[in-house]
Amino acid sequence: MDTLMASIRRFGIQVPITVYHDDDHYVLIDGERRWRCATKLNLPRVPALVQSKPSPLQNLLLMFNIHALREQWDYLTIANKLPNVIAHFRKENGGAEPTEADLSDITGLTRGQIRRCRFLLELPEKYRQLLERELSLPKPLQKLSEDFFIEMEKALKTVGSRIPDAIPQLDKARDTLISKFRGGAIGNITDFRKLSKIATSIDNVGVKEAKARRAIVTILDRKSGVGIQEVYAEQFELRYDERKITLSVESIYEYLDAAARGEDLAIGTELRKRLASLGKLIERILEQ
Amino acid sequence: MAFDTLTPSLKGIATRALAFCKAEFGSNSLAVDSAIHKDIPWRPTFSMKPTSSLIVAVEVADNLYPEALRGAAHEITQFDFPIAVYQACSLELYQSDRGEARVNLLRRYGFGLITVDADGRVTPQFAAVPLAQHISKETLNAAAAGLNRSIRIRLNAAHTAYAANAGQGLQLVGQVIEGLIACIAKQAADEGLVAQGAANGDLADAIDALYTSPGFSQQRAALGAARAFVREFRNTASHAPKNGKQAAAKMRRCRAGFLNGVELAKKLRQVLQAHDYQTKIYVV
Repeated sequence: MDTLMASIRRFGIQVPITVYHDDDHYVLIDGERRWRCATKLNLPRVPALVQSKPSPLQNLLLMFNIHALREQWDYLTIANKLPNVIAHFRKENGGAEPTEADLSDITGLTRGQIRRCRFLLELPEKYRQLLERELSLPKPLQKLSEDFFIEMEKALKTVGSRIPDAIPQLDKARDTLISKFRGGAIGNITDFRKLSKIATSIDNVGVKEAKARRAIVTILDRKSGVGIQEVYAEQFELRYDERKITLSVESIYEYLDAAARGEDLAIGTELRKRLASLGKLIERILEQ
Repeated sequence: MAFDTLTPSLKGIATRALAFCKAEFGSNSLAVDSAIHKDIPWRPTFSMKPTSSLIVAVEVADNLYPEALRGAAHEITQFDFPIAVYQACSLELYQSDRGEARVNLLRRYGFGLITVDADGRVTPQFAAVPLAQHISKETLNAAAAGLNRSIRIRLNAAHTAYAANAGQGLQLVGQVIEGLIACIAKQAADEGLVAQGAANGDLADAIDALYTSPGFSQQRAALGAARAFVREFRNTASHAPKNGKQAAAKMRRCRAGFLNGVELAKKLRQVLQAHDYQTKIYVV
């Protein structure tokens, strides 16, 4: 706002706001920040484009296309408006439920954005209120973000589907994760992806279910003071690294095997040197 | 009062700050989200008129020293009515300002600051001075650079008084000037450059005696300025304004007088130095 205000003070409003006429007043469609700056700057008049009155769905979609696509709206604002869009869509389409593709088409949002909004929409009321309160704080004081909740919910969903008994009470788990994040035990919102990896380690890297469950229970224990990163690094990271290197080895093996069988694959001098050096290293390690 | 255009947290701050200001300044001419005047390019969150010669306006914002205040300061200073401006914000925001960099900008330009903590407790961190009256510490220090310590200490005390009452502050600067004149006159009389009677008489006589003395022919500009200053500051400080317009004019005159006084103190110090006189001033 400050930057816009400085610009308007210096150059005036260069792009007109958009309004429509409704009875005895005008309703703002586009240019809320410009309007607020103009009011704060005590400007006597602002340039405006006056459009004809849109239908409720048209009005909502117009706002979506103007604001959501310009990323001026945060995900929570979009999420809060989605049920309205869905309701108007049903009304105008004989009760048909919009698919994710329909919503993407009419709102101009990507399907990924719609999925992220749905995570926020499905949050229990008290967490949505918590997020709203947090977002109303000045930026430097905001600790919990929409991304925090989206990442946390994704992880809890993954854990819930793989090891349901690791989360007996979902809200308690949420409270613990929020508290650990605020307290610094969870240092980064991307740590939640590691929580998902712990849950999927049973299928992906052959970790025993009991081990994964124990790890998740420890993370979700408020008293433990342990973060996701510590548990992941200590018990799971090596397994994932091993899997990654195994995949690389398999890929190299396949390539060399094909070359050995005389298929149209040439090994150049540089690669030959590197393979020789790798071969020696492998021998040395295997002898240990 | 609605404060509908504010975010929920700012709305809370505005409500608390308004209650505090009502208790502090009363509700006379209370206006919310309304312009003070068409010539001032800023619409405060709320404003009130505690006396017939002062408007108190408050801007509630979630960044310290916002553009709304920065951009309107000049017009507020020049406006024909004294306006004291506060910013209201959360205590957290105030505390998160590293090294008080932004807070010091508010202070420097004469704005006051009111904070509201998470429990709704309101604390006035520092008071606003009507902007037409404001002289920042930095401005004073720059103007007083080159003066010796004892004069600077007296000017600092005058500045502190000035922030609360422009007339009193100006009178204290006047006393510094009087002290310097008396100091010059006493040492000139000891040298026989002016008569002892003139040096011990009233201020105007002392200045006249110095002015006409051939020993001070090179310093007449400074002495003439001292005579004009003494006459002007006595008038400015003692006349009570009858309305807001006169109050704003008085504040501007007090401000100009204060800074003139500091400038004059430097010139009189040069007079002392030119005659190898000591600087001894007695100000009560």
